Amino acid sequence: MIGMGENILYALPAVPLGTALLAFGIRSRRVAEVVHLAGISILALLSLILVRDVLGGQRPFVLDGMFFADELTAILLLLIGVVGFLNGFYSIGYMRHDLAHGEVKERNISFYYGFYHLFLFTMVLSAISNNVAILWAAVEATTLGSAFLVGFYHHKTSAEGAWKYVLLCSIGLAFALYGTILTYSNAFSMVQDAHKAMLWTELVNMAPHLDPQMMKLAFVFILIGFGTKAGLFPMHTWLPDAHSEAPSPASALLSGVLLKCAFFAIIRYYAIALQAVGKGFPQTLLLIFGLLTVGVAAFFILVQNDIKRKLAYSSVEHIGIMATGLGAGGALGVFAALLHTINHSVTKSLLFCTAGNITMKYGTRDAQKIRGMGKVIPFTAFMFTAGLVTVAGSPPFNVFVSEFMTLTAVLRSGHVWPMIFLLLFLVIVFVALILLISETVLGSPPEDLPRGEVNWLTLLPFGILFLFMAGLGIYLPAPLNQLLQGAVSVVLGGK
Amino acid sequence: MVWYALGSILLPMVGGALAPFLPERSVKKVSQFFSFLAFLCGLLLLVAFAANRTGFTQNLLTISGINFYGVTIDTLSVLVNFMVVFIGWLICTYSAGYMNAGNREHPITEGVPRFYALMQLFIGSMSGLVFSSTLLGLLVFFEITGLCSWSLIGFYGDQQSRKSALWAIILTHCAALGLYLTTAYVFLSTGSFSVSALGQLTETGKILAFVGILIASWGKSAQLPLHSWLPRAMVAPTPVSAYLHAASMVKVGVYIFARTVLEAGTVPQVIGEIGAVMAVVTMVYGFVMYFPQDDMKRLLAYSTIAQLSYMFLAISMSVYGSKLAFNGGVAHIFNHAFAKGLFFLVAGALAYTTGTRRLSMLRGILNKLPVVGLGYIAAAMAITGVPPFNGFFSKFMIILAGFEIGRYHPLILVLVIVTVIESVGSFIWILKWMGTNVLGTPSDVVASAVAPPLAIKFVLTVLILMTLISQYLVFLFLS
Amino acid sequence: MAGTSVVNALAVLLILTSMMVVGTKKLRLAAYMYSIQSLVLVSIFLSLAIFMRAEPLYIWSVTALITKTFLVPYLLLRTLKTVGDQEEGMTLKTTASIFLAVLMVALAFVVVGSFHTYALLKIKVALAVSIAHFLLGLFCILTRKNALKQILGYCLLENGSHLTLALTAYNAPETVEIGILTDAVFAVLIMTVIARRLFKGFGTLDTDTHTLLKG
Repeated sequence: MIGMGENILYALPAVPLGTALLAFGIRSRRVAEVVHLAGISILALLSLILVRDVLGGQRPFVLDGMFFADELTAILLLLIGVVGFLNGFYSIGYMRHDLAHGEVKERNISFYYGFYHLFLFTMVLSAISNNVAILWAAVEATTLGSAFLVGFYHHKTSAEGAWKYVLLCSIGLAFALYGTILTYSNAFSMVQDAHKAMLWTELVNMAPHLDPQMMKLAFVFILIGFGTKAGLFPMHTWLPDAHSEAPSPASALLSGVLLKCAFFAIIRYYAIALQAVGKGFPQTLLLIFGLLTVGVAAFFILVQNDIKRKLAYSSVEHIGIMATGLGAGGALGVFAALLHTINHSVTKSLLFCTAGNITMKYGTRDAQKIRGMGKVIPFTAFMFTAGLVTVAGSPPFNVFVSEFMTLTAVLRSGHVWPMIFLLLFLVIVFVALILLISETVLGSPPEDLPRGEVNWLTLLPFGILFLFMAGLGIYLPAPLNQLLQGAVSVVLGGK
Repeated sequence: MVWYALGSILLPMVGGALAPFLPERSVKKVSQFFSFLAFLCGLLLLVAFAANRTGFTQNLLTISGINFYGVTIDTLSVLVNFMVVFIGWLICTYSAGYMNAGNREHPITEGVPRFYALMQLFIGSMSGLVFSSTLLGLLVFFEITGLCSWSLIGFYGDQQSRKSALWAIILTHCAALGLYLTTAYVFLSTGSFSVSALGQLTETGKILAFVGILIASWGKSAQLPLHSWLPRAMVAPTPVSAYLHAASMVKVGVYIFARTVLEAGTVPQVIGEIGAVMAVVTMVYGFVMYFPQDDMKRLLAYSTIAQLSYMFLAISMSVYGSKLAFNGGVAHIFNHAFAKGLFFLVAGALAYTTGTRRLSMLRGILNKLPVVGLGYIAAAMAITGVPPFNGFFSKFMIILAGFEIGRYHPLILVLVIVTVIESVGSFIWILKWMGTNVLGTPSDVVASAVAPPLAIKFVLTVLILMTLISQYLVFLFLS
Repeated sequence: MAGTSVVNALAVLLILTSMMVVGTKKLRLAAYMYSIQSLVLVSIFLSLAIFMRAEPLYIWSVTALITKTFLVPYLLLRTLKTVGDQEEGMTLKTTASIFLAVLMVALAFVVVGSFHTYALLKIKVALAVSIAHFLLGLFCILTRKNALKQILGYCLLENGSHLTLALTAYNAPETVEIGILTDAVFAVLIMTVIARRLFKGFGTLDTDTHTLLKG
């Protein structure tokens, strides 16, 4: 395993793809679980090895540079590997519960694991692709890979959610394809080399010479396109439907990791646009979209009753914060946005998984009906509270750190009013989430509800995610800091 | 000495982290033990600091050359921390007697581990705030204390307490935005989170920064116009109220103000003016609100608001260059903690034994419950500033400093005169209630009171003693 | 120059067929229209390949013929068999929608007019058509409420971007084209699967009635 060099770039997508194919073929639930567990473990391990390699200064390229890894890739793979592992682990307990309660059939369990790994495969592919067309195709494939996870339950609502998800994201991504084509033809007319004009690493190098008019248009298309997938306002409407209808661990993966895949695609083009058309244009766009997103999401978090929809809107809000961070720009802003992706992944995974346990216990997602969680399922309730407090942006947890950095970055960029608006929106979110805690966690539970946690197997990932959440709130480990600094200089062209 | 400081921050947090995993029977003992350890650290630090009296700052958390958190050990932090951990320990001890099924006002059958976990987290984060050498540290612990108080105010979980808890966190969080802005602004201007970086700002920069700090402080210390959460917060279990009012939460605001004024070098006078005027306005408001109150805890809440205004007035006056005013403010933070802590715990003891907090139903406490009655007298005397109780000394320092400054600044003179009038007025009003409640023959509810648990008696006795001697401790350090 | 005029003429034909796809009310008929339109697209690819000496486009036309002329309409028709041929509701009157469609074509020409890159100049009309096509697809999705019609809209959209790709990036590596086409086919496949489940759940494909999830 040690010292795989460039082979790791083959191994990374191969493992989830292989696991997926294997899982589809297995009928026994037990065997499928074992295969699944092995798949997520190996993937997590591989992504950690890649992170180590990248930290060690390696820049693996394979297939004529079609696939590669830099610090940005490493961060995204870290999320896919680690968060994918924890959610995958949680899935086992969750699916067992669903099976026991007749929500799903035994055969469908292996389908679930199959699609889970297919989904992981497409995300890994989007992370490591250097070729912008493959990047696009991979992001589009993530939609297709995850559509069946969204529509996994055979409810009317899950079909509706899945429909909106696939349709809207496909349309959005068609825009992104236009952006990709525009960028390519722009670059091709410069270098006359079809292969090079598709490679992101080359595009960044030649960015200062690209036609600025055309790059502006391309960036707008990219922002609309990948922005749809990332959940930026006004293209976010599919997100709460899809994220609330999926099985909870899949929701966690959608919110925690998938949004970031699209967001990282935006970052890649942001890096090109910064040099091709200057700072002003991309930053202003991102700042406006980011702030609008935060504002609209804040309002919806307040008025929603369904806890998973609340969480989904909170994801929209956090994507808005990340976009605002990029919009503020500068090393601080980009650093804040990248750190925020990590923090949000960890926290939102925890929240969706706890929401899964809550739904299992109460049999509803309606915040008006969930009462007295602290007495019924104290451990889950504690994790849920901690998670909500975190996404509300309160110390001592990790999201506070990156939110504060984002605020500082916006202030540094001289946008006083946007910062004040951002603060106001964040207060609304804070109020909404604190309200949610005090309604659901405190109070007296329904009398006929037996006390006790749903499933002990599901609690282990909670603990680990909580440790990440609290740990990153207090300290930023040196390797992670180095990784983030490296990624910032990749984006801003310091190397 | 840094270890003592870390001890008083981390030990209660460790205790708090353990509490949820302990069986209900041992949780009280373990929590008392950890809070006692924290108190011991505070005491040892006090003693060690008394020996050489040189303040210093040690950086603890530095990433990429930027210091995020460090501890400052000086007279201010050592004194205030001592008060925080001391009262914290007393409250934990008191709660052992209070939080049980024998409580007549509010029998408590579950949630004790949660209570202790939060309470100790509260103590630890208060210590963390007090020692923080960075604005970021102040901000972080500001918010954590807010969360702790939110979950403690909402402890009973019924509709009303949930609502009150929400008020507390939302108002203080909104106020915290001021501190967010100041922290970000100072960091951008100076490249440092250190509190002392305030001193490097320009005149205008300082005004901006201090406006942010004042907003945050007002919110947390329940000063106008952000005061409304405090009277509502009275639905909390009484030991919580005692801690909120005496040593934490409301003291956070005034402490941050004091700490920043101390570190910023010269502070623009306009900040002093704003601070002083708002302090006196709040003071008068608090005083006026005494009259309609019948719930003992609500009366005390308005008294806290008014007393905090004294501290704000003192710190604001120190902006004019008066060392005496600053010392008076610090002394009042310290003295008021013991007096108000005592007062609340007396109210709690009354609620525990008689089942009511209604002032008009209480008569003849001294006769039936001597320790509680004595506590009532000591607390009332100390709050209203009657010698030889501690409140007198710090109030006297503040008013004296006010008159000194008032010779050159007519505005301050007017404000101090108003303060003196308020002081006399509240003296009369609170002594009126004291006379009614403590003396005379017991009313029905008092006559049928049960005996308070030993833990409650012990804590009340300690606090009565402290209202008599705490001022000497302060003088020792401030001289 | 003859080559470009053939391409441009075919492009105009493409617009006409796509308007027919949007305008036809019978879904079965619309699916056939789409098949015909894809055939036009394929012939554009072929003529581009011939006149511009772009060899990769031969492969493109073969793959497009297989997937777009046969596979995608087949998928749609198969779905139609299960759900029954549907009359669709629409939000706009025919005249209004034709007017809007013309507006979009005009818009596309204006956008293309602002491009200055030399290589693109020869085929400006075709480029404008491709963008107009994309917009028409979008228009179809937004104004038509039947799920299957929306799939057709997506296909139009996809054809538009495919044509743009062929015009501006025909020399791109084949892997790229294969990747994009695979995605498109899979997208249609998955959409039809979900559309069937929608029909099973709601008994209709009218998306106006699929409103369990709100807010």
